[in-house]
Amino acid sequence: MQQPSEEPERNSECSAGTSGESTAVRQHESTPGGGVEPKEPLIQLYLADSVPLLWRSAHVKLARERLGVVGAAVGSLARQPRQNCRLSRPVQLLWEEARFLLENGRAELVKALKPQNYEQEIQSYAHYLERNHEEQQTFALEEKKQVLKRVMEDKCKDGASAPSSIQSVKGSLDSLESSFKFPCSAVMVQLCTARARFSYTPEERLWLSAELANPVDERQKVRYRVFSDLREKGYYLTSAGKFGGDYLVYPGDPLRFHAHFIAVCVPLDKETPFSDYLSLSRLGSNVKKTILLCSPSQTDANYVHYTSIQWSGMV
Amino acid sequence: MDEGSSGNWMWRHPKFQELTSLDVADSSQLYSAFLVYLDLTEVRQWHEVTCKSCDNLQLIYFEGREGEGAPLQLVVPVQCQRLLSHQWLRSVLSLVSPDGSPHQSVLIVAVASDSSLVYHRFTDGFVTPEPPDHVLNTGKRSGRRKRPQV
Repeated sequence: MQQPSEEPERNSECSAGTSGESTAVRQHESTPGGGVEPKEPLIQLYLADSVPLLWRSAHVKLARERLGVVGAAVGSLARQPRQNCRLSRPVQLLWEEARFLLENGRAELVKALKPQNYEQEIQSYAHYLERNHEEQQTFALEEKKQVLKRVMEDKCKDGASAPSSIQSVKGSLDSLESSFKFPCSAVMVQLCTARARFSYTPEERLWLSAELANPVDERQKVRYRVFSDLREKGYYLTSAGKFGGDYLVYPGDPLRFHAHFIAVCVPLDKETPFSDYLSLSRLGSNVKKTILLCSPSQTDANYVHYTSIQWSGMV
Repeated sequence: MDEGSSGNWMWRHPKFQELTSLDVADSSQLYSAFLVYLDLTEVRQWHEVTCKSCDNLQLIYFEGREGEGAPLQLVVPVQCQRLLSHQWLRSVLSLVSPDGSPHQSVLIVAVASDSSLVYHRFTDGFVTPEPPDHVLNTGKRSGRRKRPQV
């Protein structure tokens, strides 16, 4: 894996200051005493309302490969915007994933800018396009003149061409200034897909700093305790909404493995009709996964009870 | 069949009377337990099926072997509509077998109102599922269903 110190985006971050002075890269101290552990940059979590997003590819990579936080790509591909089979950045994290990164000191929260009134930007962009059109029109006209001149010269040199055809080329050359049309659709437009200085100054950073809401209800607390326990056990987790559970539990990176379990988080003492367990179990057997009932212990803050449910196949 | 409740063969069955004498469950639970007992002994031909009770959980359960020499299994009848917590399931898992060790897994039998039964295995901890072997073969099938385009 590429070492963080070699990451290209680090350079752009260093040149972020508007006054020319470089801002120090904030790094995570893995050991409190500043030991020999390699330093890793903090992952920036952009909070769009309450949705945590990862925008930088280096951060996505770091979260996935080092910290086992997978998330889900939700952005469209720059070159294929009209499809949703393959998605790109930003990567949306579960609330639990974001909290896990923050509690382990591996990430910092940044407020995503809210949509503003971009009237001025739109106007200046329109002006830019107009100017661009004029410039390109001048160039195109010049180019066309050159072509016609060359054609005329060729015809004159040739000698075999009829004077009338030379006259017609000359006529079109003379009337070119007035008749030439350069449609807007022919303008070449540059679409910027990268930004040189994609970073913030310390003042901006301070202003943008945000906080993730604490768990508001019992369900969120239960989900988070289960998430962090399973992650500490080395499992990779993704959302299991489409499987009717809370998390899909993978033994390794989700790109390489099938999920083994569908984790269902329930408070230990919550009573549910047995038919609910039946439907979960049936669902699990249908997709060859084990249903995992997960309940944090009420006495031990660091213990979670796990019970596997499988249809026995006895008919 | 129309002999009345006192003449119903089920009530007179010695096992039913044994279950009643345990005095831990209500009539619907007795009925479910008896159905499970009949299924284990008559349909599945299990061996050494014994009925047990747990006062704390107000529960009747069975122990038996699927075949001769097979490991002893714990079978717990539960009515489908009964409300259960994960804690209750953990307590069932902690019921000990005659040799003093707790059962690692329990077969819980869901008894529906139409007296149909289904067995589900509840196990403490993580049970890795069977690998989805058949998935590997489906790629070569010509009649593979095409994934709908989103």
